[in-house]
Amino acid sequence: MATPEQAAIELRQLSFRYPNGRLALDSIQCAIAGSERLAIVGPSGAGKSTLLMHLNGLLPAPSISADDDAQVFVQGQAVTRKRLHEVRRQVGFLFQDPDDQLFCPTVRDDVAFGPLNLGLDRAEVIARVESGLAAVGMADCSARNPSELSTGERKRVCLAGILACQPSILVLDEPTSNLDPRARRQLLQILKAFSGTLIVATHDLDFVLDLCSRVLVLESGKVQADGNTERILSDPLIMDRHGLEVPWRLRSPARRASEG
Amino acid sequence: MVVSDSGASPQSICHALPAGIRLSLTIITILIAGLIPLEHWPAQGLLLALVFVGLSLAGVTMRYLFRRLGLFLPLLLVFGLSVPVTHSDHAAWNWMISLWLRCTVSFMAGLWLIHVLPFRELLTTLRRWRCPLVLVAMLGFMYRYTFILWDELRRLRNARAARDFGGGPWWRSWSINSQMIGLLLLRAMERAERTHRAMLARGWDGSVRFLDGDG
Repeated sequence: MATPEQAAIELRQLSFRYPNGRLALDSIQCAIAGSERLAIVGPSGAGKSTLLMHLNGLLPAPSISADDDAQVFVQGQAVTRKRLHEVRRQVGFLFQDPDDQLFCPTVRDDVAFGPLNLGLDRAEVIARVESGLAAVGMADCSARNPSELSTGERKRVCLAGILACQPSILVLDEPTSNLDPRARRQLLQILKAFSGTLIVATHDLDFVLDLCSRVLVLESGKVQADGNTERILSDPLIMDRHGLEVPWRLRSPARRASEG
Repeated sequence: MVVSDSGASPQSICHALPAGIRLSLTIITILIAGLIPLEHWPAQGLLLALVFVGLSLAGVTMRYLFRRLGLFLPLLLVFGLSVPVTHSDHAAWNWMISLWLRCTVSFMAGLWLIHVLPFRELLTTLRRWRCPLVLVAMLGFMYRYTFILWDELRRLRNARAARDFGGGPWWRSWSINSQMIGLLLLRAMERAERTHRAMLARGWDGSVRFLDGDG
C-alpha cells in the first residue's frame, strides 16, 4: 500500500452526507499508489459510486474552496473548486450506463469531446480520437450513431473518450455490468494494457481477481477491509459478513464439494 | 423509430445536391407555404405537388409517407377545425383549408429533409451558416436522446404489457399511459443530471466546441 507521500490518490477522513440526510461515506482513510489497481467492492448502496464521484470532483468539490477543507488529494493536490479542471484532466471517469456518457450524435464527436475541452488544436484532437478508438478496437465505427452500437461497443467507445484525454488515473463504475462474456474479456484486455492508476467499483469479483492487486471492501460508507485481492476475496468471514461471496475459483475444495 | 435518417436512399438525385442547397430548399418551401396569400389555391396546390415530387425523387415510399401523415394529420384536422368553430364567417373555412395545406406542405418538406440530409450533415451545415453553437449542440443532444428515450419508453411499455392481463376498464389504460409519460419525464430528468456529470468529468466548462468547425 502507498504512503501518503507517494500516493496518486489520497483520502483523508472522507465523509459525505446526501441532502436527504443519508450518510454515504464515513471517515474513509486510504492512499492509492500510482500504477496500483484497486477494486472497491461491497453490497449495493455501500457508497461505491459516491466514493468514485469524489475522485473526479463531481461530489462536494465545487463547495470546497480551501485546501484545509479538502478530504481528497489527487497527485498530492487538494481537490478544490479552483483545481477541478486540473483534477479532471488527470482522472478519467467511466460511468456505469454508457448512454449517460455518449451524448454526441456520432462516436467521433463523442470521443473528441474531452480533447476539445482540453484546448488542443484540431490535428492533435483528431490524432487522439483515432488513437483512442484504435486502443479499444473501434476505429471503424467513428461515423456511427452510438444508438446503433451494442452495450459492449458503447462501453468501449466511452473508454476511448476517456483514453483520448490521456488521464493518469482511470476510475470505473461497474464496467462489466450488462456485458456479455466476449465484451467483458475485451474490456479486461484493454484495462490490463493501461499503465496508470486504476480504480474499479464492481460486483464482478472474477473481474477483480483478473485485474486488481488490491481490494477495498466498503459497507455503510465505511472501509470494512483493505488488502491483497486473493487474501480478502478468499476469506469467507469477510465476504459473508459484507453480503459478498467468495469467487468459485478461490473456494476451498471442501466448500466446492459441499455446494455441488 | 419516429425520427431516423437511417432509411435514406443515398442514390437519389436529391442526395447529390450540396447539403446547404438541401437545407435551403426546405426552408424556402416552408416560407413559401406560409406566405402564399389566402385563397390562392392553385399556388398552394402547385407547392404541394412540388413537395410530393421531391419526396418521390428522394425515394420516399408511399407507405412510409402515409404512415407519417397518419400520425400528423389527425392532430392537424382537430387544430384546423378550431378555426370555423370560433369564427362563424365564410373566410374561416378558407382559413381552415389553407392551414391544413400549409402545415401538410411544411411537414412533408421536413420529411424530405430528414430523408436527404443525414443529421450530422445538418449540424455541420448549421454551424457553417453561423447558427448559434448552443442551438446546434441542443439539436445534437435532442437527436441523440430521442433514441434513448424511445428505448426507455419501449421498455416501460414492455414492462406494462408483461403484467397487463387484459383486465380492467378502458379508462385504466389511459391512467397507466399518463403515469408512464410522467415516469418517462422523471427518468429523462435523472438522465440529464447524470449526463451533465459525465460532461463535467471530461472537462466541460460551459463552452460548446465542435471538431468540424470553428467552435
